[in-house]
Amino acid sequence: MTSNPTKKKNKKSFNIDAPLHVSGKTQYLDDMPELAGTLFAKACYAKVAHGYIKDIDTTAALALPGVVKIISHFDIPGENEIGGIIQDEPLLAEVEVHFIGMPILIVLAKDEITAHKAVDLIQVDIQEKEIITDPIVAFEKNELLSQPLHFQSGNTADAFEKCKYVYEGKAESGGQEHVYLEPQGAYAIPNGDGSLKIYSSTQGPTAVQRTVAKVLGVSMNQVEVDVNRIGGGFGGKEDQASAWASIVAVGSYLTKKPVKYILERGEDLQMTGKRHPYKNTYKIGLDAEYKIQAFEADFYQNGGAATDLSPAVLQRTLFHATNSYFVPNVNTHAYSCRTNLPPNTAFRGFGGPQGMFVMETAIHHAARALGVSPTVIQEKNLLFEGAEFCYGQIAKECEAQNTWKEAARKYDLARMQKEVDDYNLKNSYSKKGLAIMPICFGISFTNTQMNNARALVHVYQDGSVGISTGAVEMGQGVSSKMIQVAALCFGIDTEQVKLETTNTTRVANTSPTAASATADLNGKALQDACDQIQKRFYELARQTWSLSEDAAIQLTQNSIVAGDNKMSWNEIVSLAFQKRINLSAKGHYSTPIIHFDTKTSKGHPFAYHVYGTAITTCTVDCIRGNYEFDAVKIVHDFGSSMNRAVDLGQIEGGLAQGIGWMTMEELIYNEKGQLKSGNLANYKIPDIYSVPKEVEIHYLDTKGADLAILKSKAVGEPPLMYGIGAYFSIFNAILAFNPKAKLPYEAPMTVEKVLMGLYQ
Amino acid sequence: MSNEITVKVNGKSVTEHVEGRDLLAHFLRDKLHLTGTHIGCDTSSCGACTILVDGQSVKSCTMLAVQADGCEVTTIEGLAGNGSLHPLQEGFNEMHGLQCGFCTPGMIMTATDLLKSNPNPTETEIREALEGNICRCTGYHNIVKSIQHAAEKMNA
Repeated sequence: MTSNPTKKKNKKSFNIDAPLHVSGKTQYLDDMPELAGTLFAKACYAKVAHGYIKDIDTTAALALPGVVKIISHFDIPGENEIGGIIQDEPLLAEVEVHFIGMPILIVLAKDEITAHKAVDLIQVDIQEKEIITDPIVAFEKNELLSQPLHFQSGNTADAFEKCKYVYEGKAESGGQEHVYLEPQGAYAIPNGDGSLKIYSSTQGPTAVQRTVAKVLGVSMNQVEVDVNRIGGGFGGKEDQASAWASIVAVGSYLTKKPVKYILERGEDLQMTGKRHPYKNTYKIGLDAEYKIQAFEADFYQNGGAATDLSPAVLQRTLFHATNSYFVPNVNTHAYSCRTNLPPNTAFRGFGGPQGMFVMETAIHHAARALGVSPTVIQEKNLLFEGAEFCYGQIAKECEAQNTWKEAARKYDLARMQKEVDDYNLKNSYSKKGLAIMPICFGISFTNTQMNNARALVHVYQDGSVGISTGAVEMGQGVSSKMIQVAALCFGIDTEQVKLETTNTTRVANTSPTAASATADLNGKALQDACDQIQKRFYELARQTWSLSEDAAIQLTQNSIVAGDNKMSWNEIVSLAFQKRINLSAKGHYSTPIIHFDTKTSKGHPFAYHVYGTAITTCTVDCIRGNYEFDAVKIVHDFGSSMNRAVDLGQIEGGLAQGIGWMTMEELIYNEKGQLKSGNLANYKIPDIYSVPKEVEIHYLDTKGADLAILKSKAVGEPPLMYGIGAYFSIFNAILAFNPKAKLPYEAPMTVEKVLMGLYQ
Repeated sequence: MSNEITVKVNGKSVTEHVEGRDLLAHFLRDKLHLTGTHIGCDTSSCGACTILVDGQSVKSCTMLAVQADGCEVTTIEGLAGNGSLHPLQEGFNEMHGLQCGFCTPGMIMTATDLLKSNPNPTETEIREALEGNICRCTGYHNIVKSIQHAAEKMNA
């Protein structure tokens, strides 16, 4: 891997958490010391995907020594409801169950093993009803979780008539299990006055707080949620952390004891939702110059049994349905279909990848039919400055063509393609494939009201600084970035700054750590707080040194400086403290400019877009269907990266996760809604052999968006979509072996599918 | 059934009563509060709980606590000597071989075993050694570099 040596090197590359991680001192939820008297919760969940609860027998479980209580929906003090966007998800099943893994009862016991045994002793008799696992079947029965969505620009009907080439087809992408290595969990501690403190492994502390308050029937100020850090989230702990927090909260509320629940991996896989599988149809029209004139698509999202975040995920599918291309006439429809699977949820990319896969499929299909390389069509249609997206936003600081051109130049695309072609001429049973994947990803929550954040800053009288924001550290390095922001504002060393836990009593009404926007939103709120204190120090310096209003003052290098006047940071802090100046500040930020009208599906929903281009090459063993990735070479628009190590890590990790989704991660439910890939032995995520042998990442020099923190563009989700290139590189290798391969456009491209494709 | 076992953990001898069913991973975490050994999968698939038993890397969820009776166990907490980080810990720190950190102790312990038996591993040998450890965050490249960094340091 290389980075661009011409870029300035004044920005730091560090991870504040690394020393803790390498020494084993990091405290995840399950590492907290347990209070005496802690009870352990476990859910008894449905083993049938859809049915009527005829009978429940807890006699044997209750008789087990160590079992303290078994809780049903009748015991819930407030509302039995944990749905976020739409209130359609009970915490505990009442009359019916809707998916395998749906909690029915909560066992509280003195230790985890007893809780586990008790759950096994509970008899639940369920009369099975019709089980739906396919989104198309659900759609045909009008089982929709929310209103269909529709995006339109231009007039596709007219445009198709004028197109020289029109192709229609189907595309499917599979689900994806998050496999955050730290399983879900929560720990509730009663305060004695009826209020609770909850430690939760969540990306959404406020979502947990709001949900718990509702389930307990108390106000939000009675519930304090604290998150130290989480061991991976990827979207899986955004809305889906609320159930476990609610379970321990109910247990604690009813028993007045601390209650803890850490899910076993098997439970986590069975009970939690995943990336949405999609089935789709498309129609693409091109003119004689291969310019895409019209695109239509219908997206059928497998939403699972409750709404969760599905409508928002569905909307982002439509935002990104034309990926990095300008298409003047677009008409897309999307349906969130109710099935008897666990409620599917946020996963890095949030529906965007599913949309992009369909567009890339349509282009690949057209290219095959026209006998040209897909890259020809891709390159001709890349977005340009001033192009209008189908949702009305105008592309600004558009780097789609620049990242493509730079990738082609820097990595010598022509030579790479020739090497692939030469190899394929020389080898009969081993073929290489090359694919390019351009990406364009919008940054902001598409629900405009969520684009705001707050921060709390304390400067202590000894000069040390404590900062709190709404950002949750989950491995993405936001802690390091927040510390950098505060240190830069105060002109002090990062060692002077401590980042506190994410806590709802210190920073309230947080948006979840999601949408790649966390560093931007919280970082800018933090800047606001630091600026307020900075101004007070400047005013103090003016008075102390009798300076004019317009005198230049600076906080830099652990000092405050104005011309020849200089005081150390500690001195100005100490002086301010003596003068009774407020050393604390609360900052707020809400993203300007953005707006979106959900009725017309038009507006300016994104603060900015992130662009990039990846070239992927692979080798396919045409006897066995095995494949490996030779290289992925990327040119990425980081803006002006504020932390190289963290940002590069996001690209590499996102890429690996995207490749996993597109190739080897196969989520299998049978017709009864039973998860057949229910442990990490049969649900395989990329291991050290599965990732590309070579990953090269090049910075495109851009000035960066003003709405990005320190002009360092958001980096969490976009790189996942480079993984789509892996799918098409394999597809192209298969075509090199069997040009007439009858391979449907269905991801993931498992070894089995490759083998079928090679010989069909 | 309760059994008394004596294990030398990170250089210190401990004697404890354990249940026959107790896994070594749970013994370390729950009895000794050595929480740097993480449990990620319950099926011996992820490697987050890797430790050294008599110098060999072992997924501590694949071993019963009673099987460790009389053994020498090293966990991530016992790797640093006299306040200074082990070269592998330095390597993962310097080369950014981590993100969320949950898999990191297991990665480092597996690599410790590798570098002891093979101080100059090739990239292929490093990948072979780590095939039982999964990381969901990094894409592994920096993990390989971290181990190469440590090997260079240890051989210097």
